[in-house]
Amino acid sequence: MTHVNDNVLESIVNKVVSQVESDLIAQIESSYAQSLERLRASKVSLEAEYSKIVENASKQAENLKRQMIESSRLAVRNKQLLLIEDAVNDVFKHAISRIDSVRAGERYEAMMRRLIEGALDAIGTDAVLECNDKDRDIVDRIVLEIQHKYNFSIEVGNSIDCLGGIRARSKDGSIILDNTLDSRIERLRPILKKDIARLFMV
Amino acid sequence: MVEVGVEYTKVSEIRGPLLIVEGVSRVSFDELVEIETMDGIKRLGKVLEVGQGKAVIQVFEGTTGLSVKGTRARFLGKTMEVPVSQELLGRIFDGLGRPIDGLPEPIAEEFRDVNGAPINPERREYPRDFIQTGVSVIDGMLTLVRGQKLPIFSGSGMPHNILAAQIARQATVVGSGEEFAVVFAAIGVQYSEAQYFKRSLEESGALRRSTLFLNLADDPAIERIITPRVALTVAEYLAFDLNMHVLVILTDMTNYAEALREISAAREEVPGRKGYPGYLYTDLATIYERAGRIKNVKGSITQMPILSMPADDITHPIPDLTGYITEGQIVLSRDLFRRDIYPPVGVLMSLSRLMKDGVGEGKTRADHMEVSNQLYDAYARAQEVRALSEIVGKAGLTGVDLKYLDFGDAFEQQFLKQAVDENRTLEETLRRAWDVLSTLPEGELTKIKEVHIKKYYKARG
Repeated sequence: MTHVNDNVLESIVNKVVSQVESDLIAQIESSYAQSLERLRASKVSLEAEYSKIVENASKQAENLKRQMIESSRLAVRNKQLLLIEDAVNDVFKHAISRIDSVRAGERYEAMMRRLIEGALDAIGTDAVLECNDKDRDIVDRIVLEIQHKYNFSIEVGNSIDCLGGIRARSKDGSIILDNTLDSRIERLRPILKKDIARLFMV
Repeated sequence: MVEVGVEYTKVSEIRGPLLIVEGVSRVSFDELVEIETMDGIKRLGKVLEVGQGKAVIQVFEGTTGLSVKGTRARFLGKTMEVPVSQELLGRIFDGLGRPIDGLPEPIAEEFRDVNGAPINPERREYPRDFIQTGVSVIDGMLTLVRGQKLPIFSGSGMPHNILAAQIARQATVVGSGEEFAVVFAAIGVQYSEAQYFKRSLEESGALRRSTLFLNLADDPAIERIITPRVALTVAEYLAFDLNMHVLVILTDMTNYAEALREISAAREEVPGRKGYPGYLYTDLATIYERAGRIKNVKGSITQMPILSMPADDITHPIPDLTGYITEGQIVLSRDLFRRDIYPPVGVLMSLSRLMKDGVGEGKTRADHMEVSNQLYDAYARAQEVRALSEIVGKAGLTGVDLKYLDFGDAFEQQFLKQAVDENRTLEETLRRAWDVLSTLPEGELTKIKEVHIKKYYKARG
C-alpha cells in the first residue's frame, strides 16, 4: 500500500516538477525573447542616438573648424594692420625730419606767408603770432611787411616748440588758430595714411 | 582761403549736454567741434545752433568735468565723418567710431558724412528677396526680405538680443553665394549684452564679416545720437560701394530716443508726448529710411532696430512712431516669455508688411503665404477659445473648439518654440506648419487652396 502511495506521490511530484520546469522554461524563453526584442529596440535607439551624437559632434567640429579658421584669418589681418601702422608711423617720422631740414628757401618763406595770412584772415588784425626759434626771423620779416602794407597790429610773441609754421591768437586770447606744420600734418594724417599704406600693400 | 581749426575760448555757458560759445564767426550748422578741456582732454561735439556770434554745441561725450573757464572749442570746418573701408569688418569701435579693439585707426578709403546721403526715391528698388533667418516664426509668418526695416518691439529682460544675434548668425539668402555682412550698433546697452553679441558672432565665425559699434550703458548718453548714424554710414559703404548684403542691428533705439529727449530738454524746446521732442518721428525716419536697395546696385541694407517698450506699452511714442516708418514689426510677448517659449514672438501683434512680395512660387514655396494666413487665423481662434475655456471650462467647449485648443498648444510648442542654436530650413518650417495645421479638421483650413491641402495636409486617423 505504502509502495503504491509512494509511486503516486512520485508521479505527482514528477508532474509538478515537469509542470514547473516547463513553466520556467516558457518564462525563460519569453524573457529571452523579450530581452532579444529589447536588445533589438535598444540597438535601434542606440544607433539613432549614436548617429545623433556623431552628427552633433561633426557639426560642432565643423563650427569649431570654421571658428578657428576665421579667427586665425582675423588675427593675421590684425597683425598686418599693426605692421602697416608701424610702417606708416616710420614714414611720417622720416618725412617730418626731412621737412625740418628744408627750412631755407623761397618756397618755405612763401608757405610761412600763406600760413600767417590765413591765420590773420581767421582771427582778425589784432593778433599775436608765435613760432619756433628757427622761424623767428622769417616771421618777423613777414609781419613787418604786413604791418607796413595793411597797418595791422600784430605782435610776435614767445617761442613755441613746433616743427614750423605759426600759432596765432587774438590779443584778448578769445580766438586761437594753430597753423603749425605739426597740427596741419596731424589734420592731414588720415588722408596721407591711406596713400602711404597703399605703398606697403601688394 | 578759409582756415579750419579756429579755436574759441569764450565759453559763456554749459547747460546739460550743451556748450555755448560766444564771439564766433564763419561757423556752420552741424559743424564738427573738438572741445579741449583745461587738462588737454579732447571731446567731440557738433553745432546745433548758430547766430548772433553764438554757437550752441552738443558735446557727444557729455559736459561732465567741463568748466566755463579753460575750455576751448575748435571748429573743424566739416560735419562729422567716419572713415570707411572694407577693413572695418572684423573691427570693434566705440559709439563715435573710434577703435576700442587695441588696433590702430582704420586706413580709410574715404571719409563719409555720418548723416548719409538720402537715397533718391526714384532709384529705390522694392525689396523682394527672401532672407532665411532659420527662425520658424519669422521665416514662416513674418518673412524678412532684403532691404526691409523690420524692428523688434521688446520689453526689459526679454531675449531680443538673443533673437537678434541668432538672426545675425543664421541669416542667409538660400542658394546665393553673395557677400553678407553684419553691422551691429549697441546704443546704451549693458556690457554683458554687447559681449554676448560679440561672442556669438565670434563662435559662429561671423565676426570677420561684422563691424561692431559699442556705446555701452556707462558711456555718455549723448554719444548715442551719433552711434546709429556712424553704423549706418559704414553699412551704406559696404552695401552700395562694395556690393554686400548688410544686416544692421540697432539696439536699443529707446536709449537713442532718451538721448534725443535729453538734448531737447536742454535746448528748452517745446516737449511733445512724454517729453520727447516734436520732431522725434522725423529724426527716427532719418535713421530707419537709410535701409533699402538701389536699382542696379547689388548690395542692400536690411535694418533690424530693437526697441524696448517702457512698461511693455506699445502705444509709447517710440514704438508708435517707429511702427509708422518701418515695414512691420516683430513684437515679443511677455506671456510667452514667462511660459519659457523661445522666441517669444507674439504673432498676432506682429507683421511683416513686405512678406507678400518675398514669398510664394519661385521665391519660397507656392503654399507659403496661404499657410501663414491660415496659421494667423487658427492661432487667433485658439486664443479666443483659450479665453472662453477659462470662463466656461473645457466641458463647455465644442469638439472643434477643443481641436483649436490643441492647435494652440501645438503651434507654440512645435512651430514657435525652437532652440537658440537651431537653424531651421524653410522646408522644415513649412513641414512643422503643416504638422500643426493638421491637428485641425480639414474643413477648418479655409485660407488654403485645395491643391495645397491635398498635397500637404496630414489626415489623422
